[in-house]
Order: sequence, then structure tokens, then C-alpha cells
Amino acid sequence: MNLLIYMIFNIAETLLRVFPYPTKTGLIKIGNPDRNSPVCLTSNYHLTVERVKRALKDIDCYLLVANSRGFNVWCGATGGHFTNHDVISVLKTSGIEELVDHRKVVLPQLAATGIDVKTIQKKIGWNIVWGPVYAKDIPGFLKTNFNKTPEMRRVVFGLTDRIEMAVAWAFPISAVSTIILIPFWREAILPLALMTWGLSMLIFISFPLYSHLLRSEGKRIGLILFDFGRGGLRLILWGVFLIGLALYSYTAGDFSWGLMLRWGFASFVVILILGLDLTGSTPVCKSGLHEDRLLKIVLDEERCKGAGFCEQVCPKNCFEVDHVRHLAAMPRAHECVQCGACVVQCPFDALYFKSPKGDIIPPEQIRMFKLNLIGERAVKVKTR
Amino acid sequence: MSTYVLMRILESVPSRYDKGIRILTLGQLDKSYDRLISNINSGQTVLDIGCGTGALTLRAAVKGAKVKGIDVNPYMLEIAQKRASEARLKRNIEFCEMGVAELGNEKPSSYDVVMSGLCFSELSEDELIYTLKETNRVLKPGGLLLVVDEVKPDSALKKIINWTIRTPLVIVAYLLTQTTTHPVTSLQEKIKKSGLLIESMRLNKMENLIELTGRKSQAG
Repeated sequence: MNLLIYMIFNIAETLLRVFPYPTKTGLIKIGNPDRNSPVCLTSNYHLTVERVKRALKDIDCYLLVANSRGFNVWCGATGGHFTNHDVISVLKTSGIEELVDHRKVVLPQLAATGIDVKTIQKKIGWNIVWGPVYAKDIPGFLKTNFNKTPEMRRVVFGLTDRIEMAVAWAFPISAVSTIILIPFWREAILPLALMTWGLSMLIFISFPLYSHLLRSEGKRIGLILFDFGRGGLRLILWGVFLIGLALYSYTAGDFSWGLMLRWGFASFVVILILGLDLTGSTPVCKSGLHEDRLLKIVLDEERCKGAGFCEQVCPKNCFEVDHVRHLAAMPRAHECVQCGACVVQCPFDALYFKSPKGDIIPPEQIRMFKLNLIGERAVKVKTR
Repeated sequence: MSTYVLMRILESVPSRYDKGIRILTLGQLDKSYDRLISNINSGQTVLDIGCGTGALTLRAAVKGAKVKGIDVNPYMLEIAQKRASEARLKRNIEFCEMGVAELGNEKPSSYDVVMSGLCFSELSEDELIYTLKETNRVLKPGGLLLVVDEVKPDSALKKIINWTIRTPLVIVAYLLTQTTTHPVTSLQEKIKKSGLLIESMRLNKMENLIELTGRKSQAG
């Protein structure tokens, strides 16, 4: 029965994945936790909480749900909806301090883009441990006394994730197109919905085949569609679809230019919408709309003391820390998605972003100003 | 171009917060604030929880009180700060970026008045209970709690009327200013549980906005 409800939640919330869905914040006891049991914390996006609860079901522990306004961990932390204040708030007001003797809380690694370990430790004395990216790895992480393998740190875009993303796009697009078509072109509703779902699945499931061709550099929003370096893929996809459509209608015996024109246009619109921010719809590339994609991470070796926070929080495993020389290096810097987690977490300010013009963006600015929807750091007020 | 327009919208959310609130409360809020502030006297120490853009903070400072305004939103505080300097009230005001969870760092019995406008309704249940407990601790014996917040009407008829009037307002306010509010639930019970005494309560005609005065007992 529980499994059935869990499945229903999973399906419904995958369909509506692009919208935030807040759930109750506070403390959840899992199993029979005692005064030494681990404390985990997550955001209050409903599906996240359900999945974390399920992953932890065989472990005696406490789960804290912090207010991220219904956004998932990564988007919430990067976009300023899931902040130090929210973590402090749930630690102080949920009553967890009376239930455990230790002051150690496991946070999801992806929250590292917005949550500042130093500030929280200074303000309320709790230590943050960066847990794994995925909930399924938490039990292994807790059992091995917080030992995080490189695999646990890495964000991937597996087949299930890709299908989920395809559904998350296809459902709202087909829902809106259905509403638009009801008054004047009802026959087209079903074929258009099928086409939307088909194209969406095609784009996301085949992602690994073409992902190496995607470039994160390039022009600004508005020009993306006509910039062949980035829009080209969509045009190729559209061409393939048109040829398929022509062949199908020809063999079925009802080929006409009117049909080609109508469906050619409809499919073009669908592909445009699906491809508007293709890279941003994946966790493995930077959004094509975000200014930050042009930034480069710079490692200041003079300042680096090899603390290794960067290695712990990088979702792309860009870093390697030499524990003998006490120095970090970025052997896989080309994988960087400019999430900024390493910049926010470095205790020595040894990492910073550099713009294509060569301007240095100080770590303080990344800690203070969060990304808005279009990937610019909002409200550039002067700091006191 | 579209980028620019979108930027402007997103960038100015905090500065349009007040406008949004004014639409949602149909201008009643200012009057409620003025009435509450009449309880404050010159020379008192005041804590403003969730001061936002400083609507209550500035009013209290005008009356000659020493006010500390706290909020979690640094952009709102930036606006509040600017207003305070424009009104030449900076000497009497201190703004801090901190949440209610950090009230534990405030000294016990250090404030004559703790006030909060439309902030309790933004808090989770745990947060509100904690805030009221801490309020009781930081208030001097006999100190005042002043609250203005949104509530749900009790009677079914008023509930329906409230819903009919409020829904379009919520939509308009959200479209124009991306601001919205929620009602606070069982505020009176929570205040009583925290040990504070409710001194007076005033609901507007719609029964959706409450002005509440509470007091910490003289015994402390």
C-alpha cells in the first residue's frame, strides 16, 4: 500500500516536475533513533523528501526537512531559496538539539552551492558533513562512517533520469497544446501529444549520443536558435522528423503539402520549446541561458592549503587533492559546470570565477548573490 | 531585449514587495501599523522580527525608540537601510540579517517591545513556537508583544466572502509584484502556550487581519 502511494507520488510529481511542490518542514524520526543517531537534512520538495525517507527506511536516524520553498536541493541552493537561514532555522527550531548529543548534520552535497559551512558553524556550532549526491547512497555513506567514494560525489544523467526529464517536459507542453487546440482543431490533439512525447523521449534518451557535440559557449538568449553551433542539432532533428513524416504519409497514401506544412510547423515549435534550454534540462551541462557558463574556475595555488572541500563538493569530480603537498589540482577542469560549490566552500578563498574578459569575481559575491532563473546573480546592491 | 525585461522583473522583487502587500490588504495595513505603534514610547528598546523593508521599524524609530530590525532577506534589508538613512533615522535603528532561529543569541529581558508585521505567517509551525518562546525570554517583565498578521476568518460566511475577494487580489498582486501572503493559524493558542498574556485583539471587518497586543507578566 505504501509502495503504491509512493509510486503514485513519483508519477504525478514527475509529470509536474518543472513546478515546485513544498511539503511540511521539521523533524522526521526514522526507525528508532537514539542520542547518537545520525542526523540528515534535506529540502522540502515533496518528492525529494519521499525519496530520502525511502532510502533511509532501514536506518535509525533523524531526517530534518528545511524550508526550500518547495524547490529541489540543487536549484534551491543555487537560486537562493534554500539558504543558511533555512538550515539554521530547522536545526534550532525542530527540537533536534534536545534529541542528540552530537552536533553533526549530513547535508546533500548539491546544497554546497548555497549553504555556507563556516557561517552555520560560527552562528550555532553545528558541523556540516557533505553527504552523497543521491539519496540511494546515504545508507552506504552512513555505514562507512561518512566515507564518500568518488562515485557518490558525481552527478550523472542515467536512463531513468533522462526518461523523467523527457516526461517533465512532454507533459506540460502537451497539456498546454491540448488546451489551445480544443476550440478549433480537435483532431490534432492526440497526434500532437504523441508527437510531443515522442520527440521529447527521442531528444533525452539519445542524449549521450550527441552530448559531446553540445557547446556551452556561444551567444546570448534569443540568438541560440539561429546559432548553428548550438541550434544546429535541433534543426537536424527537425529535418529527420520531417523526412520520417513525408515517408510515412507517402506510404500511407495521403501525402499532401498542406499536411507537411501544418505538421512541419507544429513539430518545429515543439522542438524549439524542448530545445530552448536543452543543456539546462540536464544535470551534466550548464544551462545555455546562464551567463555563468562563460566563467572559468581559477585555482590560486598560493592560497590553497589542500583542505579538499572542493574535492568533496564538486559534482563533476574536477578536483584532485595532493594530501602530501597539501595542494588541490583540477585535472578535469573541462568538465566544470560552473555550479560554484567549490568557490562557496573553499575556506581559504583559493578558488574564484574569472569572466571571459578577464574580470575576477570574488568568492564573497558568489556566496552572497544567488542565481536567478536566467542565470544572473540578482540585485547587485553594494555590500556594506 | 527579453532578457533585459525579465531581469528587471526579477531584480526588483523586493522593492515592489510593499506595493504587493498594499494590494493584498487593500491599504488597511498602514492603519493597523500606525495603531500598533501608538503603544511604543520614546526611549524604549524595540525588536522588529521580520522587518522586511522597514515599515514598522521606521515608524517605531520616528517615535524615538531604539529599534533592532531583523530579517533573512538581505535585499529587503538593503532597502530598509536606505529608507532609514533617507529619513535620517539611522542613529536609532540597527538592521541585522538574521532569522528567528538566532533569537537565542539575544540577551534575556533586553527589550521593552517585540513587534512583528506579516512575518509570523511566513514561519513554519516549529519556527513560530520557537519565536514566541524566545520572545517571552527576551522581553523585559511587563514588556509588550505587538503583532499584525493575516488570519483566516472564523465564520463560514466570512470565509466565503474572504475567499471571493482575496482570490483576485492574490492574482493581481502576484502578477504585478510577485508577492503573496498566507494566513497564520491558531496564533492565540500559540501565544498562550508560550506563557505570554494576550492583552487585546482587534480583527478588521473581514476578520482576515489581526492586530494583537500581548504582554509578558510582571513577575518575569
